[in-house]
Amino acid sequence: MNEIKVNKCEKIVIYLVLCIVLMFTLFPLVYVIASSFKTNVEIMAHPERIFPEKWTFENYITAWNSDALDVGRMFFNSAWFTVASVLITLITSSVTGYVFARGHFVFKKTIFAVFSSLMFISLGSITIYPQFEVLSLINLNKSLVGLLVLTCFGIPVVNMYLVRGFVESLPKDMDESAKIDGCTFTGIFFRIILPLLKPIMATIAVLTFNGTWNSYIMPAMFTMSAPKQQTLIVGIMALKNSGQGASQWNLMLAGTVIAMAPVLFVFAIANKYFVSGLADGAVKG
Amino acid sequence: MKLVDSITNTKKEHISLVEKIKSSEQAQCFILLALPIIGFLVFTIYPIIWSALKAFYYYDLVPSNTRFVGLDNFITLFKKGSDYWRAWLVTFKFGSIKLPIEIPLALVLATLLSKGLKGSNFFRNFYYLPCVISLAIVGIIFSNIFDAFGVINSWLSKLGITEHPIDWFGNTSTAMSVLILGGVWSAFGTNVVYFTAALSNVPKDLYEAADIEGAGRITQFFKITVPMISKVFQTILLLAINGTLRTGEYILVMTNGAPARTTLTSEAYVMKTFLPGFSSGTPNLGYGCAMSIISSIICAAIGLLYLRATKKIADLY
Repeated sequence: MNEIKVNKCEKIVIYLVLCIVLMFTLFPLVYVIASSFKTNVEIMAHPERIFPEKWTFENYITAWNSDALDVGRMFFNSAWFTVASVLITLITSSVTGYVFARGHFVFKKTIFAVFSSLMFISLGSITIYPQFEVLSLINLNKSLVGLLVLTCFGIPVVNMYLVRGFVESLPKDMDESAKIDGCTFTGIFFRIILPLLKPIMATIAVLTFNGTWNSYIMPAMFTMSAPKQQTLIVGIMALKNSGQGASQWNLMLAGTVIAMAPVLFVFAIANKYFVSGLADGAVKG
Repeated sequence: MKLVDSITNTKKEHISLVEKIKSSEQAQCFILLALPIIGFLVFTIYPIIWSALKAFYYYDLVPSNTRFVGLDNFITLFKKGSDYWRAWLVTFKFGSIKLPIEIPLALVLATLLSKGLKGSNFFRNFYYLPCVISLAIVGIIFSNIFDAFGVINSWLSKLGITEHPIDWFGNTSTAMSVLILGGVWSAFGTNVVYFTAALSNVPKDLYEAADIEGAGRITQFFKITVPMISKVFQTILLLAINGTLRTGEYILVMTNGAPARTTLTSEAYVMKTFLPGFSSGTPNLGYGCAMSIISSIICAAIGLLYLRATKKIADLY
């Protein structure tokens, strides 16, 4: 009984509305991706054409060899930084979620409430200064590694909720029998719970991948004095802000498409995890 | 018996620390939570205390310049901080135009998508697509499209609507329009997903009953759909309002305040004035801390006001 009775006339109107919004949604993306395959001359002279007259990889080759935008190195930086962040977040979210779902310890409720309130308490971006100050004690305030350390110590509140909810839905008798067999609390996590967390871990992985790959402000501040560590997003924004960007649309467009490609690829194969993660986080949390 | 007892006691004392931890669930819990608890103290609580204290100092990262100034930072902010207050006006203007477009649009689309028509998931996924793209990239895409020599201007002149290319980012009101358009574009998909999830919990027989009673589609929307999801609606709107009030990065990547810092929202203003790498010169961070505290108070106050105002709405069902 999923279907509500809709007559033909209504159907046409509905599809029309949906298609108009779809065009509005896709136009900017399609235009930019198609333009990146235009020649530099065509980008300048014929902005009104959506699709290039002659498709060319010229801009990508220029971008690959350019000094202004070192795509290769930046892509590598983005890649390792993102992979490391995803791994760290998977570990911290699953462990905290599990402990709050199954652990018995003093102040459990208080600690959980305090952690949850993090979503709402924030003094904004100015707190980067004291964070820098702490990280500079271990000389990590000027590199992506420092940002990873921050990730290690961070509390992924939404993910924590997702894992906690998931673990609570698992039957308890398995870990009880494991406990009788002499398995420790930590052992139960690794041997029994963790293997069952796959679906929720996939959700957290894609959402973290997306957020980290796309992040701009934090990596920009952490790579300020180490330009060699710039990620792709930071590098492209630096080119845009340098004022040369406007005259180098060919470079910017190719870089933009390269920076979008991994995210679009992951979304194409794993969109159900994006949507389910979002819906679970909002409706249940 | 006593002998046996004492033997086990001495044995217990000799049990190593590792064994003790192994047998205590509580100890393991705290060890597993060590990183987040330390992180919470060092990277959340300490920075908040730091900022709250520094708000009463003049501080520009040079230790010898640091001095206690009492309430001066706050006084300056209220007396001479017209730029900051104008940024709040911009924030309210941005939100009061963007949200009334974004939220109803998302709700209507979600209602259409939850009718169970073929291809609903396809449409929903594509609506969500802009939300997975980096804000920085959104900024580049829109500055390309709305470039003086970009596609929109060339279409407008081909159609004979404009004679001269419009300098979209050179004028406060056109820049604001582009900001709102881009803001809706990059965020409405999230709300479509939220609303579709909420609507999937509304029992379908309600609509069937309404059909039999002869209620029209519009009536059904306002009498069934809206009341049934009012609680989730309240949360979604809260998230959207909170997100809009804290819009900062998006403004920096889209207009960077152009023209002449007139499109900076409050958060963007703080970022552009005080953040390393985004500010110019050596700002007085104490002033920035005072500003951040006032911003947080304004955001919290609006959030609480909203919750009070909508209490009745949430109880509707």
